[in-house]
Amino acid sequence: MRIINRKLQRREKLFMGATPFIAVLLLYVVASHIRRLDNPADKLLPSLETMGASFWRMAFVADKRSGDLLLWTDTFDSLMRLGVGMGIATTIALVVGIAIGFIPHARSSLAPFVATISLIPPITILPILFIVFGLGEASKIMLIVLGTAPVMVRSIAQVVMDIPREMIIKAETLGASVWQMIWRLVLPQTLPRLITALRLGLVPGWIFLISAEAIASTGGLGYRIFLVRRYLAMDVILPYVFWITLLAFIIDRLLLLLSKRAFPWHHLGGESL
Amino acid sequence: MSIVFDTSTPDTSEAETVIPKIELRGIMMDYDDNRVLERLSLSVDAGSFCTIVGASGCGKSTFLRLLLSQEVPTHGRILLDGEPLPPEPTPDRGIVFQRYSVFPHLTVEENLILASEFETGGFTGRLFGQSRLDARDAVAQTLEKIGLAAAKDRFPTQLSGGMQQRLAIAQALLKRPKILLLDEPFGALDPGIRVDMHDLLLGLWEEMSMTIFMVTHDISEAFKLGTRMLVFDKVRHDPDNPEAYGATITYDLPLNKNTTDKAPEPSELFASQLRN
Amino acid sequence: MTNLKTFAKALCVAGLLAVPTGMTNAVAEEKSEFSVCWSIYVGWMPWGYLADSGIMKKWADKYEISVDIVQINDYVESINQYTAGQFDGCSMTNMDALSIPAGGGVDTTALIVGDFSNGNDGIVLKDATELAAIKGQSVNLVELSVSHYLLARALDTVGLSERDLTVVNTSDADMIAAYATDDVTAVVTWNPLLSEIEAQANATKVFDSAGIPGEIIDVMMVNTETLADNPAFGKALTGAWYEVMALIASDSDEGKAARESMAVASGTDLAGYDAQLATTEMFYAPADAVTFTQSAELPNTMKFVAEFLFDKGILGEGAPSAEFVGVAFPDGSVFGDADNVKLRFDTSYMQMAADGAL
Repeated sequence: MRIINRKLQRREKLFMGATPFIAVLLLYVVASHIRRLDNPADKLLPSLETMGASFWRMAFVADKRSGDLLLWTDTFDSLMRLGVGMGIATTIALVVGIAIGFIPHARSSLAPFVATISLIPPITILPILFIVFGLGEASKIMLIVLGTAPVMVRSIAQVVMDIPREMIIKAETLGASVWQMIWRLVLPQTLPRLITALRLGLVPGWIFLISAEAIASTGGLGYRIFLVRRYLAMDVILPYVFWITLLAFIIDRLLLLLSKRAFPWHHLGGESL
Repeated sequence: MSIVFDTSTPDTSEAETVIPKIELRGIMMDYDDNRVLERLSLSVDAGSFCTIVGASGCGKSTFLRLLLSQEVPTHGRILLDGEPLPPEPTPDRGIVFQRYSVFPHLTVEENLILASEFETGGFTGRLFGQSRLDARDAVAQTLEKIGLAAAKDRFPTQLSGGMQQRLAIAQALLKRPKILLLDEPFGALDPGIRVDMHDLLLGLWEEMSMTIFMVTHDISEAFKLGTRMLVFDKVRHDPDNPEAYGATITYDLPLNKNTTDKAPEPSELFASQLRN
Repeated sequence: MTNLKTFAKALCVAGLLAVPTGMTNAVAEEKSEFSVCWSIYVGWMPWGYLADSGIMKKWADKYEISVDIVQINDYVESINQYTAGQFDGCSMTNMDALSIPAGGGVDTTALIVGDFSNGNDGIVLKDATELAAIKGQSVNLVELSVSHYLLARALDTVGLSERDLTVVNTSDADMIAAYATDDVTAVVTWNPLLSEIEAQANATKVFDSAGIPGEIIDVMMVNTETLADNPAFGKALTGAWYEVMALIASDSDEGKAARESMAVASGTDLAGYDAQLATTEMFYAPADAVTFTQSAELPNTMKFVAEFLFDKGILGEGAPSAEFVGVAFPDGSVFGDADNVKLRFDTSYMQMAADGAL
């Protein structure tokens, strides 16, 4: 039978999915072991036990100086920044995206501008962000917003433009005003795709969050990673990377769940990733 | 609002002045360099059921879009009740498309109360509380009539094709349009279901005394339903430049229900098909 | 089956990955090819000149070895690379040597003590002229760097501690832009950033490393085992270094030309480079370096540094005290755990240079 026609059983699927993870883990354990034969205190590839102990210390042992549980304060700081940043980006994406996608005047005046802005790597204009927004939370949040919003705007504008013309005509023949069409037709049709855009936007969102925290801060997951990198504490960095990955994965799944709960009609068509 | 649809008969005094419901004068329609329709003049009386047939790409759907004001003709005028047609779609002309006619994010019932929500729901087009209950009561009988009462909380994608089009037709009639435009509404349906749909449509047409324009691929359907059949075709051909000439109405057949039992062969109607 | 195969494959790849680095780490053997890394800093520019001018090759040839001198653009990364075993030596400060390689179990020897910062690191306040005014402010600096150490030492002098202010970790690349914003009122940084920031109208340098002379030391650190097995490596590096030192210190045209080329390499001109040299106490003569390294102040300095690092939790989670990592001095004395000596100040090669024995 051709390979494309072979159906996998549930257990096979699970096994196939787990294989790359197990392979990487094994690779790490072996490489770490070989390195530690030379130098038991090797910092580059610490043992799983060392990483576990460091993670435990970060999560459940109060910091000597501040008395904080660093993992949780870092997580809180980072999620706060990411949440506010992505919230602003999402709002901008929704408002500007619908305007561009639905109103010809807005499209003509904003679409080329947004397309241009989305090509600027925000990190390159960082000094300007500092001057305008200060060195505090605002410039970090703005970095996330600038890094994610333009692409999300474009994606939402495309979603709005892809609404079948027939539906808009139909709404017009039912006597809808422009505002009513936005509230009852465009917005509901766009919201599930907005969640998709948000899920995709979170990928650069995390990257910009970590970069922002590397620049100037007093806490956060990216701050901790860049701080302890100064003494090559991979035993802290690797668990933090794992933690960030886990958080990102959970947020992604929660958004998918939200989309399925809030917009059941959108998911009737088939399985989504 | 307690009645299903407004079934009052048209004003007879208006009929006596013999203003046609729709009148097209010298319509020509170009898309860029592509001429779709040309030399199209037509006058349709109120209460007619015009069926429109023709080969693919002969401007049938364009013709409907012109009547809907979705497009503006390159040349010529369209009059509705003797007045120029409004420049954009309005509730006096209802429309049923083959696809995307109903709103996928609304349940069957929500699709039907949408029109009254637009009417009284203000800026957001949404009704709450008692007024929403009233609106739901108002569509209960409609749901019954189109056989969707049991499915009123389902989303359109959970309905069969026939149910979706019944919903689409009911929704298009909510604003009691004087003109109903149908763009191959039953094209994707099974033959058996089509017959049911024909009965529903004819019943509603008689009940609401509308003027109907319906595009179809099925000539027997056109004969069965229409009081008048319009055949679109290209009469002029430039072999070197097939886009140079547009289509127009080549046959305009009044249909008498009593005499026309048998549909003619397509070859009798489409001259251009024969030439090829 | 698939499982076994995957496992085997993983083992192979893991082996491939680990072996080359393992070989570099397995230094208990004689070898003839060495590499050291350095990053841009006033006191380390001679390393670049040494490689470009052929002086390094001359000395390496003399001892029948080869020494590759690699410039790395990121200072911390260069130390990390050395610690991970990619290089046999690396230029770094005494503090970073204790925290990164020594703290990470890599036994490291201070081969060439090149200079100490004598004003190259400083604290700048905006619209204030007294160090005490720093109380309650947010202070932007590269956390856990020598800037952080300088701040801690400076606060001691005015009876303040880090609890009296907020430290904001700020990348050195963004320090000048950061100072330009209204939020930032206090920074601790190093040259050439320091002179750039100090030049602004509202800026006052309230403390600099001249206030703690001899505490921020720039050293060529090498792997202890590599050095023990390959004295030729140490001799070649030391010989080449002090040849360049003599050249720079001379008033000759060649000396000026050498300084000029180092100035260009560090992105400034001769005047700018000379200004930076003025705040750097270079040990041009090996005998001076030997005297400094043997002085009684060095153990004190390392004690301060170890306490600072322990206080910041950098000496490792297992570190029960600041004495966890042992530091050995030329006279054989040890600060901290004598059974866990990972950082060694060794004057023997510099002494050879002083004696003209290379």
